[in-house]
Amino acid sequence: MSETLLPGLLIVVPLLGSTLSLGLGLLRDRIGWWVAAGVLTVEAALASWLAYAIYVGGDRIVHVLGGDTFGRKAVTVDGETTEFIVGIELVGDALAGVVVLLVAAVSLAVLAYSRRAGPRGAAFYTVYLIMTGGLMGVVLTGDLFNLFVFLEIVGLATYALVSTGRGAESAVAALKYLVVGTTGASMYLIGVGYVFLETGALNMVDVSRSLSGDPPWFDGALYTEPLVVAGFGFVAVGLATKSAIFPLHTWQPDAYAEAPDAVTVYISALASTSAAYAFARITWTVFTPAFFEVNTRVLQAVMILAGGSVILGSLLAVMQRRVKRLFAYSSVAQFGLIFLGICTAVHPAAGESAVRFAVYGTVVHLLGHAVIKGGLFASVGTLAAGEGARRIREYAGLAARRPFAAGALAVLGLSLVGVPPSIGFVGKWYIGVGAVGADLWPVVAVIFGSTVLSLLYMARLLEKLYVSPAVEVTAEPTPRDAVVADGGRRVSYGMAAIGVAAAVVAVGLGFAGAELASLLDPIVEAVLESSPEVGG
Amino acid sequence: MTEVVADPRPLAAVLSSAVAIVLIIASHRRPNVRESWSVLAALAKFGIIASMLPGVLDGTEYRWSMGSLVAGTPAEGIEFALRADPLGMLFALLASLLWVFTAFYATGYMRGLDEKAQTRFFAAFAASLSTAVGVAFAENLLTIFVFYELLSVATYPLVAHDEDEEARAAGRKYLAYTFFGGGVLVLAGTAMVFVLTGTTTFGETGAALANADPALARATFALLATGFGVKAGLMPLHSWLPDAMVAPTPVSGLLHAVAVVKSGVFGITRLVLDVYGPGVVGDFGLGLPLAAVAAFTLTAASVIALRQDRLKRRLAYSTVSQLSYIVLGLAILGPTAIKGGLLHIPAHAFMKLTLFFCAGIIHVETHTDYISEMDGIGKRMPLTMAAFAVAAAGMAGIPLIAGFVSKWFLLIGAVEANQAVFAVVLLVSGILNIAYFWPIVYGAFFESHDAADDKPVVEGPLGGQPGDTSVVADGGDHAGQHPPDEHADDHASAHHGGPGPGGWDRVSWTGEEGSWLMLGPILAIAAGAVVLGVIPYEVGFLELIELVVAEVAG
Repeated sequence: MSETLLPGLLIVVPLLGSTLSLGLGLLRDRIGWWVAAGVLTVEAALASWLAYAIYVGGDRIVHVLGGDTFGRKAVTVDGETTEFIVGIELVGDALAGVVVLLVAAVSLAVLAYSRRAGPRGAAFYTVYLIMTGGLMGVVLTGDLFNLFVFLEIVGLATYALVSTGRGAESAVAALKYLVVGTTGASMYLIGVGYVFLETGALNMVDVSRSLSGDPPWFDGALYTEPLVVAGFGFVAVGLATKSAIFPLHTWQPDAYAEAPDAVTVYISALASTSAAYAFARITWTVFTPAFFEVNTRVLQAVMILAGGSVILGSLLAVMQRRVKRLFAYSSVAQFGLIFLGICTAVHPAAGESAVRFAVYGTVVHLLGHAVIKGGLFASVGTLAAGEGARRIREYAGLAARRPFAAGALAVLGLSLVGVPPSIGFVGKWYIGVGAVGADLWPVVAVIFGSTVLSLLYMARLLEKLYVSPAVEVTAEPTPRDAVVADGGRRVSYGMAAIGVAAAVVAVGLGFAGAELASLLDPIVEAVLESSPEVGG
Repeated sequence: MTEVVADPRPLAAVLSSAVAIVLIIASHRRPNVRESWSVLAALAKFGIIASMLPGVLDGTEYRWSMGSLVAGTPAEGIEFALRADPLGMLFALLASLLWVFTAFYATGYMRGLDEKAQTRFFAAFAASLSTAVGVAFAENLLTIFVFYELLSVATYPLVAHDEDEEARAAGRKYLAYTFFGGGVLVLAGTAMVFVLTGTTTFGETGAALANADPALARATFALLATGFGVKAGLMPLHSWLPDAMVAPTPVSGLLHAVAVVKSGVFGITRLVLDVYGPGVVGDFGLGLPLAAVAAFTLTAASVIALRQDRLKRRLAYSTVSQLSYIVLGLAILGPTAIKGGLLHIPAHAFMKLTLFFCAGIIHVETHTDYISEMDGIGKRMPLTMAAFAVAAAGMAGIPLIAGFVSKWFLLIGAVEANQAVFAVVLLVSGILNIAYFWPIVYGAFFESHDAADDKPVVEGPLGGQPGDTSVVADGGDHAGQHPPDEHADDHASAHHGGPGPGGWDRVSWTGEEGSWLMLGPILAIAAGAVVLGVIPYEVGFLELIELVVAEVAG
């Protein structure tokens, strides 16, 4: 088997596995977990292999779907020959590799959580595997329209997963997510349509080359074409909606708060992450810095949105009473930071080193936030399952009774604030250095100010956990807390271990900031050269 | 002249108490074992650091790198590295030496009061010392930032230790101030230094900063100085420190008079001496503003201290004031002033730790926290109050005690640098020191609980008492007339301090006034303050400082 098959397999294996889960589920409902565990173990092995090939082998792995009929074909116009793609390309490059690893690892880890916490049943794991396949598709596809398809697969799967909560609130949250999320996806599609009208291409590399006026049938760069500029605007709004950037975040707190805890862990770590990843890929390698040199205003608009998201998301988080909503709003703020990093990397004012650090920061913070937020929600779920505590005031004095869950929460929370040595600090440092290097002083102020903003809500939680006298939890377990209600199955080692493992990873990666960054150098070179191809 | 040797001892010094954290938590069921880990870690840490002293005095620097923390230039990253240079040794030696005494004292204090959550207390204490030594040995700005932030985190549980509303409020304030200073200002300043110079290693940035855009270089200095200034208690960012006095007294003593606040001062020292260098600071005209802030702080804090009735709060304002001596010495930029400022780091540490330990033992033995209740307490706590008197005299700069030597160099340095106005400020502050310490000593030994003079400064309204109270009848409300003693109500309820109805018991001078676990450290450190004042050249600190000054000047 050759390595070029890997991107395809990474998408196909979970999708096929989901049918297996559905089919075997007809025989025994509880078999879903085992199928998912098996499939995702294979998936993790494939992901490691792909990452090995990308980072150790230094390859850019391209797989064209559909066999020899498709692929790069020569086109001759006016005596000049250029190659264009026919069909759909899957690309595993330095940008995709780390996210593929993240998706595979988180998917497998959440299984350890959901084993005891539920939801159970083959139907759940069927959707779960579909979502994993969709996420892999988003990460690996090299085609703008195909990206829309995978975004919708992820979206639909998320709606279904959110609605697996037992209360009516879950259904409402899922519906809200469906309406807002689909609107966002449609915006993205309109943007891709505009770009397609102008360039006649959907493959990311071809679109990028066309935009720069490389093929002989264009007179020059298309960067100033109104359709192209509007296309970027629609793509940005669509993906900002999916990433929950203020004020397009309204679906997200409800979805996170009302979904079952295992689902919250999963979608908080990966759903918005995949959309932000898509935005980074399109901004960096499709539109490229050359586009933003001409259209700096558009970039500034996105940066204002992102900066506002950091500030307002944190302030909204401070106002929350329920812990899951608090962390949901904190994600709004953190994705603001990531978008700031994405935009700084292509800002015309950014010199070579500023681009380098902004790219490092964006990718590191994208990964770091996923690990931290997933671990935080796992710890929150553990405390909810074990102690019935879901509100901040119910957290008083819990540290003494649940030292490991509380400890994981403390470490991850401080890491989110940006206390070194942790991955949260490394990401913030790189983005900050990038912004300083590009002389974007308002952005610098927002990035470093975000430390205090995130401290506002984290300190409140930690103070409750550690130095407030314990209070009796008065809230009766609601039907949503089914794990508590159905007796006996409270907290498993797996549930607590996910939070602790995330804390260990967050601190461990904090020491590996330089090594992690060195993996990302091909991306930096691609952005610096406005090249559509990363590495290879 | 200096030779850099790869040696894991700086790392071992940091880790020795980090390992102790695990052991302390593991033996939480057996208090005696737990406390012996603290003492062992303190001795080990001091031993490791002291073993490097001869080498450092001979011009060797021990360095240990733990690899790159983050990527720097494409070729090499910013290393997470520790280096024992003379300046770092000064701070590390001081903190680890005093921790040895504090470990004993804390045991006596926490047991004497039967405090809760003692395991958390000792674990957090060990963690704080680890990070303080990390601050001392950090080789570059990013490494110092790592430990500086961890120090904030590690000391938070100590500030909020009492778990009541007051302690939680103090903890919140503490986190807000220190994270604003560290995570926002210092980090931003570090990023600026890195972008401007391409490195953050101490001693390698000065030349590049001198040639950088002056506006950016000044802004960077302001960011870093303010960021470190938060922990150093520079006004107007000092107000977390008096509030943090709600913590148990060993914390107020070692951390909020030595390790934590001096990590802020130490940061400013690194900034002035190693990041910019005195010459560059002078060229940019940054010394004078910093000196002005320090001069204002040291005067204003002394005046505020006059009116504090709670002993620990008075000591806290005294700390705010004394820390600014150090900053002032650095900001004057002359070699003698720098020498005086640096020598004030250990001098103030010995004296202030004695004072805090005295306040602590008084609290444990008599539950007295307010100066107005301490008249005649010299009968009950003779040795304690004698040590207190010695340390207080040192604070005021009386010769033969540590404070005199450092203040002498500061005065000479100020005149030498043609900034005699700061010498005047220092002298005025010395008088204020006497004004707020002497009444305590006088009251303790020469007054008794039933025949004490009025204390108009503390108990009267701000601005003096009108001769005739009827003057305020013209519509002014009487609330303003009452002494602003917020603690007036505490006396009745939770607080049982002060002399009993029969006055203070008389206790002999042979140490029956309290546990030797506490009395021993007090006397040892007070003796240390005297030794430092009588033979400053023989105890290592001044030699280290002269190495630092020689390196900076040459």
